[in-house]
Amino acid sequence: MANLKEVRERIKSVSSTQQITKAMKMVSAAKLRQAQNAIVQMRPYDKKLNQILQNVLQAIKGDANIAMAKERPVVTHPMLVVITSNRGLCGAFNTNIIKEGVATIEEKFASHYEAGRLHIMCIGKKGADFFKKRYPKAQMHLDHVDLFSNLEYESVYEIADLLLEKYAALELDSIHVAYGRFKNAAMQFAEVHQFAPIAEPEVSESADQGARADYVFEPDKQELLEDLIPMIMKTQFYRFCLDTHASEHGARMTAMDKATENAEELKKELRITYNKARQEAITKELSEIVGGAAALGG
Amino acid sequence: MKVTVLSPQKELYNGDAIRVKVPGKAGRFEVLKNHAPLVSSLEEGVVLVDSGSSKEEFQIKAGFIEVLRNEVSILIQQ
Repeated sequence: MANLKEVRERIKSVSSTQQITKAMKMVSAAKLRQAQNAIVQMRPYDKKLNQILQNVLQAIKGDANIAMAKERPVVTHPMLVVITSNRGLCGAFNTNIIKEGVATIEEKFASHYEAGRLHIMCIGKKGADFFKKRYPKAQMHLDHVDLFSNLEYESVYEIADLLLEKYAALELDSIHVAYGRFKNAAMQFAEVHQFAPIAEPEVSESADQGARADYVFEPDKQELLEDLIPMIMKTQFYRFCLDTHASEHGARMTAMDKATENAEELKKELRITYNKARQEAITKELSEIVGGAAALGG
Repeated sequence: MKVTVLSPQKELYNGDAIRVKVPGKAGRFEVLKNHAPLVSSLEEGVVLVDSGSSKEEFQIKAGFIEVLRNEVSILIQQ
């Protein structure tokens, strides 16, 4: 028979844990809304940027010569950027991103790692902790681990600028980013995306955007393109960070919701055990009294 | 003419203006009403939006401007 006091204490501790998970869920819900808002805010910027790119590409008629889109024949210095959250308690979110990152390294850059030429940049403490231990021979870039404590686009663009500078200076030959793509509060996907070189931008054939105006391009089309592409890449990098940020809160919200539910179930079970034990004790006491009375009367 | 100034984080300006001055890569220039369609990249400097009654300035690091049918879109990185 379960000890009454023990069960009572367990119920109490489960209840207080449940309160914590419930509060965390609500905090995550609020933060998620903010993070989603940031994604919505950057959309017009992204859209306009791509529109301008389309204009230039159409004017240039496939003669685009984009340095950032050229695959390097030999990749000697690959870089993997791992964007994770700073904190845990968000289910398998960070584990999944790390897993994707590790899979990419094992698959593509195992020999680079052995030669000590693999670069890993971590944004978010969880990824940094893991990759430091797991890949001691890699060249770690840990200056921006704490980005998420103050997620402003200026700082994100600075990091992206730095990456692109190193790429342009041939210090890096390819850049992959492992991050959590955000779909909605309940769905996040851990993904690895090739950040540089970027895929050759395609000219969309849709003529429905009104008659194409005869634009004046300054300084000239080619140079404009060389400015536009990095800007688009930086914006994409910003998007990766925003997505991961929103995903983190979405994942934590789901995890905490599940935890609250589980606590509720646990509490129910414990309460049944408690009531059973209580009833048993009462029955026992009653039968003892009855037995005692019978013994006296007999 | 209608002017919007966008940063990745928020809309910094949205409304009518009579004059916009930007640090174009090929030199600082001004956009007035009925300007020809134009796309230009911007370099570090100050974007000035003059709505007649007030002037607003934005310090930028890089950016782009598109002018089309009296609609001016300025994308900036600060």
